[in-house]
Amino acid sequence: MGEGLRRYFLADTSAAPLATFRVAFGVLVLASVVRFWAKGWIAELYLKPKFFFPYYGFEWVRPLGLYTYGLFVVCGLCALLVALGWWYRTAALGLFLSFTYIELMDKSTYLNHYYFVSLAAFLLVLLPAGRFFSVDAHLDPARWRSQVPRWTVDALRLLVGVVYCYAGLAKLNSDWLGHAMPLRIWLPAKNDLWLVGPLFNHVWVAYAFSWFGAFYDLTVPFFLLYRPTRAWAYAAVVVFHVLTAVLFPIGMFPYVMIVAALVFFPADAHLRALTRLRRWVLRTPVAPRLAQPLVYAPRTKQALLLVLGTFFVVQLLLPFRYLLYPRELFWTEEGYRFSWRVMLMEKMGQVQFKVVDGQTGRARLVNNDEHLSVLQEKMMSTQPDMLVQFAHYLRAYYARRGVQQPKVYADAYVSLNGRLGKSFIDPTVDLAQASDDLRPKSWILPFDDEISGL
Amino acid sequence: MKKTVLFALLLLFTAVGIFSCQKTTGDDAPTPDTSLDRKALLTQWADSLVKPGYQRFNDKLAALKTKTTAFTAAPTTATLVEARQAWQAAYLEWQKVELFEFGPAESVSLRNHFNIYPADVTGINRNITTGSYDFEVATAIPQQGFPTLDYLLNGVASGDAAIVQQYVSSANHRRYLTDVVAKMDQTFGTVYGQWTGSYRDTFVNNAGTDASSSLSRVINAYSLYFERYLRAGKVGIPAGTMSGTPRPEKIEAYYLKGALPLQLATTAHTTVQQFFNGRTGRPSLKSYLDALGAKDSRTGQSLTSIINTQFGVSYQQLSSLGPDLFTTITARNADAVTSYNEMQKAVRLIKVDMTSALGITVTYVDNDGD
Repeated sequence: MGEGLRRYFLADTSAAPLATFRVAFGVLVLASVVRFWAKGWIAELYLKPKFFFPYYGFEWVRPLGLYTYGLFVVCGLCALLVALGWWYRTAALGLFLSFTYIELMDKSTYLNHYYFVSLAAFLLVLLPAGRFFSVDAHLDPARWRSQVPRWTVDALRLLVGVVYCYAGLAKLNSDWLGHAMPLRIWLPAKNDLWLVGPLFNHVWVAYAFSWFGAFYDLTVPFFLLYRPTRAWAYAAVVVFHVLTAVLFPIGMFPYVMIVAALVFFPADAHLRALTRLRRWVLRTPVAPRLAQPLVYAPRTKQALLLVLGTFFVVQLLLPFRYLLYPRELFWTEEGYRFSWRVMLMEKMGQVQFKVVDGQTGRARLVNNDEHLSVLQEKMMSTQPDMLVQFAHYLRAYYARRGVQQPKVYADAYVSLNGRLGKSFIDPTVDLAQASDDLRPKSWILPFDDEISGL
Repeated sequence: MKKTVLFALLLLFTAVGIFSCQKTTGDDAPTPDTSLDRKALLTQWADSLVKPGYQRFNDKLAALKTKTTAFTAAPTTATLVEARQAWQAAYLEWQKVELFEFGPAESVSLRNHFNIYPADVTGINRNITTGSYDFEVATAIPQQGFPTLDYLLNGVASGDAAIVQQYVSSANHRRYLTDVVAKMDQTFGTVYGQWTGSYRDTFVNNAGTDASSSLSRVINAYSLYFERYLRAGKVGIPAGTMSGTPRPEKIEAYYLKGALPLQLATTAHTTVQQFFNGRTGRPSLKSYLDALGAKDSRTGQSLTSIINTQFGVSYQQLSSLGPDLFTTITARNADAVTSYNEMQKAVRLIKVDMTSALGITVTYVDNDGD
């Protein structure tokens, strides 16, 4: 066993899978940035709102006004450089930092696939993906390496595998499997889809989709790893993600996953694809070269393995942090993000804030839309940590306008996966005094139901 | 090798098959496809609600124009009373169409031209004096429409004789009244023209559920109307639920007072209920939600019956605010606040539970679904 492990960490493999991943990933992130810009979302999400919801510990990360456009330029440029493999290490670091900064600016835009992009970009900073099929290696042939340690490629496979498996584990709950929620709500809304639409009116289809979805997420990395099933599994990846792209407003996520799953293909497939791409771009035949393995200095290798090891331990544990909170995860959303919980809830809410002058007792109601975008209000109304952040903003806002010791109360109403809506948080608790941290929030009212499962 | 794949697929399909079969024979009755036909629902709304509703309002608006023209041509107590009656009839009819603020009505901001109150009396008087005004600018919103007509026909002076005298002596007053009605006529004409023209097909054919679909727009307009213009506008703001102090002068039809303000509110409430329920046997929000099987999964009670029960309670409380809403706001403020609260419960059922059950999207921005 120990011997096997030792041999594993000494084994080399072709650098081609890293290179294809780098190119495809860079192109996709660039496309995401362009798409985001073209849809006018930079202005709508980061310039127009008067208030932003920061992440705990990252309160200093804020939109940069008009310079936010510059941030997106940097991000897109780094993505392009990563794809080209030009100034690779710097570009990968720039991509990781700029993309992550963008995502940290406002919680209301949180998407699991953005988180995936950040994590993959982080791995790319560490991995030797710029040594093969890159402008860097072309300009300085001494840097060219055709073989890399096997664990560098497997790190990406592990990340993709974790995403799928954890997304599958998250589906093992009574709402998803036992009640076909929320697909049962979402599918009939798409019943005008060509050919398959009418099927969505039947409840059994929602069940079939739910069960297949859970099975797919839990098993697809293994089918992708196993040579005989690989082609089938990849076909399933494409079909599955194209279907989700058609059905749900999840943006680039399906395409990111379709591309990321390519990393499971063996080196020769990548090599063939890259050779074809090279011939198509450069229109010159490729001169065969002697294989050149990348060998890390022992210190470097140790440090890299240590960082990667820590990274994956955190990745494996983080989604289970919800166990530290006493109450229903879907209701309180304590420990919900960064856990590959995708498309699990149809949760909708409405919240009415009331600001009371601590001295005169005079009360006034708040128009949320005077302060927040449609997206922000939608996201805030079902997420307690955002409610308390907005309450603190209101405290400061009304204090500036002469209200003495403002008390902020919220009357929130939330429905979850087809359950009739109910009061979400205690309307008698002054949220201006409630703390915004990671401890369980006692002012969230009980869910009065149970969702069993992981 | 191939066998492994086939086995895996077989396993998968049997698992799915077995489970789904169990479920269909269980608690979930199969739903007939026809009742979940959004195009049929949109067609019903366009042809049986919006267009006929607009037609009836158009008639009332034409009558208003005739009567106000007669009044400005020869201001007498008799012509004033007739103009006022025509205004009341049109105002009541308006309550049945104000909620259709989507499509053409939304693009011309029909409500802004018809029913934003309280009227800006200072602005109106300035307009009358200077004789120059532009009804399209934002500041002019409360200087036109029904609330302005309320002031012009009921509030420019005290007593009918004094009002008539005002119009006899001031050409500017006559002109302003004419212009206000002409502007309403012109703005509504554009909207009605589009519905009788090509917009009807555009509306009916946009049968998806994304943020730009007809259903999404209608639900958005419907819940916004109920929340902001009925619940808050007609009761909440005058009752002081927003500011903490009752402001009875902010009611609708403030210059006429009497029974009309409450009558306007109850007409609006009935319209909201009727829009939800539609006609028996015809597509409606109710039939669509029932076909979806929307229910409270905690209790199993159907969503439409929960909504209708709350509509009932809310209507009851609202109609108890008579006979004179203006007096009730101060004399029995708690009742007005209760009415607001009951409407708020219904608003939530519409805005949260119904919208969620319909599966419509409210923003264009990507989301993971939460």
